[in-house]
Amino acid sequence: MSEFFQTFLNLEVMAESAGLLARGLLVTVEACLIVIPGGLFFGAGLALAQTLAPRSVTGLLSWGVDLVRAFPPLVLLVLIVHGLPFLGIEPPPLLGVGIALTINTSTYYGEILRAGILSIEPTQWEAARSTGLGTAATLRHVILPQGVRNVLPDLAGNTLEAVKLTSLASVVALPDLLRMARVAQGVHFNPSPLILAALLYLALLWPLVRLIRRLGGRAVLPA
Amino acid sequence: MSSVLELRGVGKTFARVPALRDIHLAVGTSELVGLIGPSGSGKSTLLRCCNRLTEPDAGEVVFEGNPVPAGGAELASVRRRMGMVFQAFNLYPHLNALQNAALAPRRAAGLSQGEAETAAREALERVGLGDRTTAMPDELSGGQQQRVAIARALALRPRILLLDEPTSALDPELVGSVLRVIRSLKEDGVAMLIATHEIAFAREAADRIAFLADGEILECGPPGEILDRPKSGRLQTFLSRL
Repeated sequence: MSEFFQTFLNLEVMAESAGLLARGLLVTVEACLIVIPGGLFFGAGLALAQTLAPRSVTGLLSWGVDLVRAFPPLVLLVLIVHGLPFLGIEPPPLLGVGIALTINTSTYYGEILRAGILSIEPTQWEAARSTGLGTAATLRHVILPQGVRNVLPDLAGNTLEAVKLTSLASVVALPDLLRMARVAQGVHFNPSPLILAALLYLALLWPLVRLIRRLGGRAVLPA
Repeated sequence: MSSVLELRGVGKTFARVPALRDIHLAVGTSELVGLIGPSGSGKSTLLRCCNRLTEPDAGEVVFEGNPVPAGGAELASVRRRMGMVFQAFNLYPHLNALQNAALAPRRAAGLSQGEAETAAREALERVGLGDRTTAMPDELSGGQQQRVAIARALALRPRILLLDEPTSALDPELVGSVLRVIRSLKEDGVAMLIATHEIAFAREAADRIAFLADGEILECGPPGEILDRPKSGRLQTFLSRL
């Protein structure tokens, strides 16, 4: 048993790698600050476009969304980070990762928000139109506040996935939390830094997980 | 009497089934016109064609002397002055009573927040709910919800109200409160076109009643004439089954 602790929960190794992991955590947080707001922003754009655009355009959009969702995010990441330089575009690694993962996650946010918009009865649109409200005002003041509320647990769940998705960045050498943990693992020939990284992810995600649990418990279908 | 609203030869077909056929009907200033008829006779479609929530495919709807425009800001402007009240209220469940009534004055009519809330508060007082401004729709009874829906339409100071079976979704004991509000609006001179199953109310409050069957107006006239001396067999049958 003590051998197990020596291998996986070696406090000495953890303490020595804490500095590295702290820098990694910072990069992970930075990546999240690009991917989550970016994904929500472009996801909202996708959802609105699919709600409002003519049928020919929405068909094309849903085709594109399906394509991105079926495409392995790791391959998308490698293509963008290592492929863009061939086109003469060389974004900083964090931005490259941000672009690739925003493309991926915005399709999921988009589908969730679209489901939220579709969850609102057409009679709400009619009530708003009958008072002379235009499409933009109806969406902003009537449809979205209700629709977003209906899909809050799913939005929070996708945010959780987006945070974990950023760990893929370690593959393209972005010094994020997971990457730094593996560096520390190599330095110490001991996997304890990975366990510490997992604990840090847990600390980062635990409040969100609990929030989702609470939202899920409160989500009530409209009468 | 000059007409606020006039339907001239309006027709509508759904999937080859005619829902409205050659409807001619005018509602004068301060006039209350009741629409009666069996379920599926086209009462709702007729009302919805007035503000183009349903697009008529024949004829013309004239509001205050001008054809109701097909879309855009002009149609929105007409809709503001043509209040609509739905059978199922269709209140915004995430907004309280005041916010429900103030939304369109603020966001469609462009009033300031203060002006919009004043208009909404006055409208709520007019339907007897001045003390429930902060109540959410699910905290109100069905009758109160329908009165909020009427206030939502009134807050825009419409020239006419279109009411689509405003009491049909209510428990019997709540119907009276809504009908009282409609009566008081009539006393204030608000023009109204009401689809209703409340024949006793129509008899007492309506200036004219139109009887609709299979999408056609078979008879139209003062309540006494329509309800006591029905000419068509359809209307006689309809009245005998009440």
